[in-house]
Amino acid sequence: MTVDFIFDGLNQLFPAVAGNDFFLIIAMLLPVAALLGFITIYGFGVIYSEIKVSSFIQDKTGPMGQGPGLHAGKWGLLQPVADGIKLFIKEDIIPASADKPLFILAPFLIFIGALTAFIAVPFGEKIIIVDMNIGIFYIIGVGSLAVIALILAGWSSNNKWALFGGMRSAAQIISYEIPAGISLVVVIMLASSLNMQEIIAYQEGGLFNWIIFDNPFMPIVFVIFFISALAETNRTPFDLPESESELVAGFVTEYSGTRYAIFFLSEYANMFVISAVAATAFLGGWQSPFENFLNTPAWSVFWMISKTFFLIFVMIWVRWTVPRLRVDQLMHLCWKVFIPIGLFNVFAVAIWIVVIG
Amino acid sequence: MIKYFTDIFTAISTITGGMLITLNHLIRAKKGIATLQYPEERWPRPERNIGFNSESYNVIRSRLHVDMDDCIGCLKCERACPVDCIKIETEKSPDRGNDIKDINHIGITTNGTKKALVVTRFDIDMTECCYCNLCTYPCPEECIFMTGGPNGKKHPIDYEFSEPDRSDLIYRFAKPGTKEGMENILNEKSKVEA
Repeated sequence: MTVDFIFDGLNQLFPAVAGNDFFLIIAMLLPVAALLGFITIYGFGVIYSEIKVSSFIQDKTGPMGQGPGLHAGKWGLLQPVADGIKLFIKEDIIPASADKPLFILAPFLIFIGALTAFIAVPFGEKIIIVDMNIGIFYIIGVGSLAVIALILAGWSSNNKWALFGGMRSAAQIISYEIPAGISLVVVIMLASSLNMQEIIAYQEGGLFNWIIFDNPFMPIVFVIFFISALAETNRTPFDLPESESELVAGFVTEYSGTRYAIFFLSEYANMFVISAVAATAFLGGWQSPFENFLNTPAWSVFWMISKTFFLIFVMIWVRWTVPRLRVDQLMHLCWKVFIPIGLFNVFAVAIWIVVIG
Repeated sequence: MIKYFTDIFTAISTITGGMLITLNHLIRAKKGIATLQYPEERWPRPERNIGFNSESYNVIRSRLHVDMDDCIGCLKCERACPVDCIKIETEKSPDRGNDIKDINHIGITTNGTKKALVVTRFDIDMTECCYCNLCTYPCPEECIFMTGGPNGKKHPIDYEFSEPDRSDLIYRFAKPGTKEGMENILNEKSKVEA
C-alpha cells in the first residue's frame, strides 16, 4: 500500500522517466528505512518501560537521576541509550571453535524474521507497507524464521548451554505455533479472509463488534493465542531457551556486543509484531473503540499503537509475575491443554457461525 | 477428567491472583517504594538514649573535626594519637617579637589565647583513625572533637565516609594555600635580611 503510494508519487513527480525499476527500489527502501528507525525508537521505549514496570512491581524505583550527566537522565530516561551505547562499543567476540559463518548469520536471520513481519502490520486504512492477500498467513510464516536463527545460534556457538537453548527453542516454538495457528484459524473463519485489512473491516463499528466479543468462545481463543504468542517470543514464563538460572543465557551465551544487541532488539521487535497481530485479529486493529469517535486516518495509528502497547505492557506484567515453567510443564500446557481446547473452539465457533451468525 | 478441568481452573485463578498482586504494587508504586535514592535521600538516624545526659557527653564518635580558627598548633593531639594518624606542621608567625610579652599574634581563639603559630598542615587520616577519642582530651582550646558530641552540634554527623578515592579520606584541615603563603613570606624575609 505504502510502496504503491510512493511509487505512484515518484512517477507523477518525474513523468519523463516514469515506471523505471529505480523508483520501485526507492519506494521499497524508504518504508524499510522508516521501519528501522521506528524499531530502534520503539526498542528504547519498550526497554525503558520494561525496566520501570519491573522496578515498580518489585517496589523499586529503577534507574533514577537528577539530570543528564553522570546519572541516567531525568527519571533514568537515558538508561536504554546508555545500555545501547555500552553494547555497541563492547568487543565483538567470536569463539575460536565456533562455526564462524553460521555464527555471524544467526543474528541477521533473526532480525530479518522480525523486520519482514512488520511489512504486513496495518497502522491505518492506507498505512500498511504491503497489503497482502495472505497477510496474517505471511506473518505466521515469517515468524517461524526465528526458529532457524535460534537453532543456528545454538549450534554454531559450539557450546553445550547454547545448544540446549537452541533445541529447547525449536521444540517450544514449533509446538506453540500450532495453538497460535488454530486460534487464528477461528479469526479467519469469522472474517472469511486472510487479508489484515479485511479482518479489521469485519470488526468495524465499535467495541462490541471486535472479534474478541464476537461470541462467547472468543475470549478463550484470545487467551490461547496470547499465551502461545508469549511462548513464541521466548518471553517469561516461557523463556526456557535462555533460562539464565539453568543455561547461563541459552542460545546467546557466546554472543557479545552488537550481535547480542541485535538478538535483544529482535526479541522486542517480535513482541511488537505478535502484539500487533493480536490487536489486529482480536481487538479491532486500527479501529477506534467507539463508533465515529476519533476514527480518522491519523488517529488510526494512535489506536493501533496504543492497543499494541497495551498488549506489550501485559507481556511485561506477566513476565514479572509468573515464574518460569519446567520443560515437561511447557509441553503439557501446549499439547494437552491448548491444542484440545483450541480444536474444540474451532468446531464450536464453526457451529456458532452456521447456527447463529 | 475432572482433575484436568480443576487443574486448568486452579492455574487460571492463581495466575489471576498473582497478576492482581503485582498490578497493585505497580499502581501504588509512588507510595510503596522500598528503596532510597541514596545520595539524595538517607534513612533518618535513630535517636541515641544512653541513660544519662548526653548533651555534655560525646555519645557518638563519628568523625574527627578541627576548628582551624581555634587551633594554636600545640601538637598535643598529635602526640596523644596512638596510631599516629594526625600530622601537624607549624611555622612561627613571621613578625613575632623576641619577648614573649610582645607577641605579634595572628589571631585570638574563642578561649582568648593568642595564636603565635601558623598551622601549615593539619592532616587526619581517617582510614587509620581508631576512634579512641584520646586526641580530644588534651586539646587546650577544645578545637579538635568528634562530631556527634557537645561540640558536634555545629556539624552534621557523618558516618558514611563514602569517597570516590581512598586518598580523599585524608582530611586536610589546614586552610588551603597556607603552606605556600608561609614559604613565600619566609623566602622574601630571608632575601631582605641577606
